[in-house]
Amino acid sequence: MTTQTLAETGQVKRAISLRSVLNNAGIGLALLALILFFSVFTEHFLTANNITNILTQITINLILAVGMTFVILIGGIDLSVGSVMAFAAVVAGKAITLPGFGPAEAIALAVVAATMTGVLCGVFNGVISAYWALPSFIITLGMLNIARGAALQVSDAQTIYAFPIAFEEFGSAMIYGVPVVFIVALLLVLVAWFVLNYTVFGRLLYGIGNNEEAVRLAGHPVFWYKVAAFTICGFTAGIAAIVYMARLNISSPIAGIGFELNAIAAVIIGGTSLSGGRGSVIGTLLGAIIIGVLANGLILIGLSDFMRQMITGIVIVFAVILDHYRAKYTAK
Amino acid sequence: MKLLKIAAGAVSGLAMLAGTAMADDKPVVGLIMKSLANEFFQNMMVGAEAHQEKRGDYELLAVGMQNETDFESQINAVENFITQGVDAIVVAPADSRAMVRPLKKAMDAGIVVVNFDVALDEEAKKQRGVELAFVGPDNRGGAKLAGDALGKKLGEGGKVVIIEGNPGADNATQRRLGFEDSVAEYKLDLLDSRTAHWETEEANSVFSNMLTAHPDIQGVMAANDSMAIGVVKALESAGRDDILVVGFDNIPAVGPMIEDGRMLATVDQFGTDMAANAIDLALEVVNGGPELEGWVKTPIELVTAD
Repeated sequence: MTTQTLAETGQVKRAISLRSVLNNAGIGLALLALILFFSVFTEHFLTANNITNILTQITINLILAVGMTFVILIGGIDLSVGSVMAFAAVVAGKAITLPGFGPAEAIALAVVAATMTGVLCGVFNGVISAYWALPSFIITLGMLNIARGAALQVSDAQTIYAFPIAFEEFGSAMIYGVPVVFIVALLLVLVAWFVLNYTVFGRLLYGIGNNEEAVRLAGHPVFWYKVAAFTICGFTAGIAAIVYMARLNISSPIAGIGFELNAIAAVIIGGTSLSGGRGSVIGTLLGAIIIGVLANGLILIGLSDFMRQMITGIVIVFAVILDHYRAKYTAK
Repeated sequence: MKLLKIAAGAVSGLAMLAGTAMADDKPVVGLIMKSLANEFFQNMMVGAEAHQEKRGDYELLAVGMQNETDFESQINAVENFITQGVDAIVVAPADSRAMVRPLKKAMDAGIVVVNFDVALDEEAKKQRGVELAFVGPDNRGGAKLAGDALGKKLGEGGKVVIIEGNPGADNATQRRLGFEDSVAEYKLDLLDSRTAHWETEEANSVFSNMLTAHPDIQGVMAANDSMAIGVVKALESAGRDDILVVGFDNIPAVGPMIEDGRMLATVDQFGTDMAANAIDLALEVVNGGPELEGWVKTPIELVTAD
C-alpha cells in the first residue's frame, strides 16, 4: 500500500517539477523585467552596494517565507510569524543580556532561546489547528495576539539593547559582498527545497495539500505532518528573530508588525497556491526578491510612500490572478 | 449569549471596582493613555503610578489601548469614566478629532478634563463649543531643536532627509513640520522625506535605499529614536561615518550612540513625568483652583554629547 503511494508520488513529483520549472521561469522573467526596468530608469540600481542592500533587506522576509511555504503547501496559513518573531527576539534579547556569560555563551543561549520560542509557538499552532481540525487562519490569528502580548509583557514594552560585539559583527558580515545573514537564508531555502522534493515527508506535505483524506487513508500520520509544517514555520520565525537582532543590535517588542503579510505575499507571488498542494520554495525565493526589488527600486526612482504601497498591492493581486490561470492550466 | 454574559460580568466587575474607589473620600482621576506597547507611554504610565503612590491623596484609574489607532477603546474609556463618576479625566487623545465629542460629554457631566500629550483639534473644539486647555510638549518646537542642532553643524545648503512617523498621526505631522522649519531657517537642501512607521527595521531598509538614491546625504532627521537606531545601523553597514543623525524621545538605547557620536542629538520631552504633571494640574482644578487656559507647555530639552 505504502510502496504503491510512493511510486505514485514519484510520478507526480516528475510532473510537478516540470511544471514548477515552467512556473518559476514565468516568475523569473517578471523579476528580470523589473531589474531591467530599474536599471534603465535609475542610476544606482545595478551597483554592487545596492545589490548588497537588497539582499540584506529581503533576508528576514525570505526566512519567514520559507517557513510559510510549508504551511501554505498543506493548505494552511500562519498569521502569527511577525509577532512570534518579536516574541522570540525579546526572549533572546533577555537571554543575551543576562549577566555572567561570556559573549560566545550568551550568543549560543540567545540562538537557543529564539529558536525554542519559535518552535513552541509553532507546535501550539499546529497541534491546536490539526487536532480539532480548526482553520489555521483563526488559531494563528490568536497566536498573533498571544505572542505580541507576551513580547510586550516579557520586555515591559522596552527596547532591549547592548548585545555582544561579536553578535553585531555577524549581522553586518559580508563574504564577497554577500551578507552572511542572506547566506543563512539561502541555506534554509536549499534545505527546504531538498526536504520538499526529495524526502517522503516533503512529498506527503504536497499530498496533504492536494488530498488530505487520501494521505490519511494511505496510513500516514497526517496530524504529525501538519504539526511539523507549523513547527518549521515557528522555527524560521525564531531564526528571523536572530537575524533581526544581529542586524539592528536591539530587540524591540513592536518589531515585525505586518511581516506575516509580506511573507505570505512572497509565497504567493512565488507561485505557491493558497489552497495548498502546489508550489515551490524556489518560487518563494524569487517572490521575496521581487518584493525586495520593488521596495528598493521604487524608492530609487523617487516614488512617494503611498504610491509605493499601492504598486506593491497591485503586484500581489496580479500574482493571484496569474495563479488562477496556472491552476486552470494544471487542471487540464 | 455566552459572550454577552462575559461582557455583563466584566461591566459589573468594573462597576464594583469603581464602587470601592468611590468609597474613599479622595478624588478619583481617570487616566486615559495611548498604546502601552509604546515604551514612551509605558514609562509614562509607570511614572503616573509612582506619582499616585507618592502623593497618596487621590485614586488613580488608568487605561491604555492596544495600538496607536485604536481610538474606539479610548472613547469607551471616557464613557465608562463618566458612568463611574470620576472627578477628573486626564487624557492623551489617540485622535485629535474623534475624542472631542465624548470629552464634551464628560465636561457637561461636571468632570474636570485635562488634555495632555497631543492637543485636540482647534476646529473640532470650536464646532462643539468646547474650551479646553492643552498641557503638553511642543512636538514641532522640539523637532525644530533637533533640526537646528543639525542645521548649525551642516550650515547653509546641507543635504538632509527626514524619516517620518506614521502618516496622519498628529505628533508625526508636528515633528515633520518642526524639521521642515529648521530646513527653511538654515536653508538646508531637503532631498527626500519618507515614513518608516516609527519602526527600527523599516527605517533601516528605507534609509539604506534613500542613501543609495542620494549618496551625498549629510544629515538625517528621524521623528523618533527607534527609527534613528535603524538609520545608525544602516550607516554602519554602509561604512559611512560622515553623516549626522538626530532623533526624538531620548530612549535609553540611544544613550551610548549619543555619547560616542553615532548620533548628534535627540530631544527629551520628559515623558515619565508628563502624565503625573497633568494629574497635578487636574487636581488643582478639582480642589477649587482656577480653570486651565490655552497651552500649558511642558519642558523639552535637547540632548547632546556635551
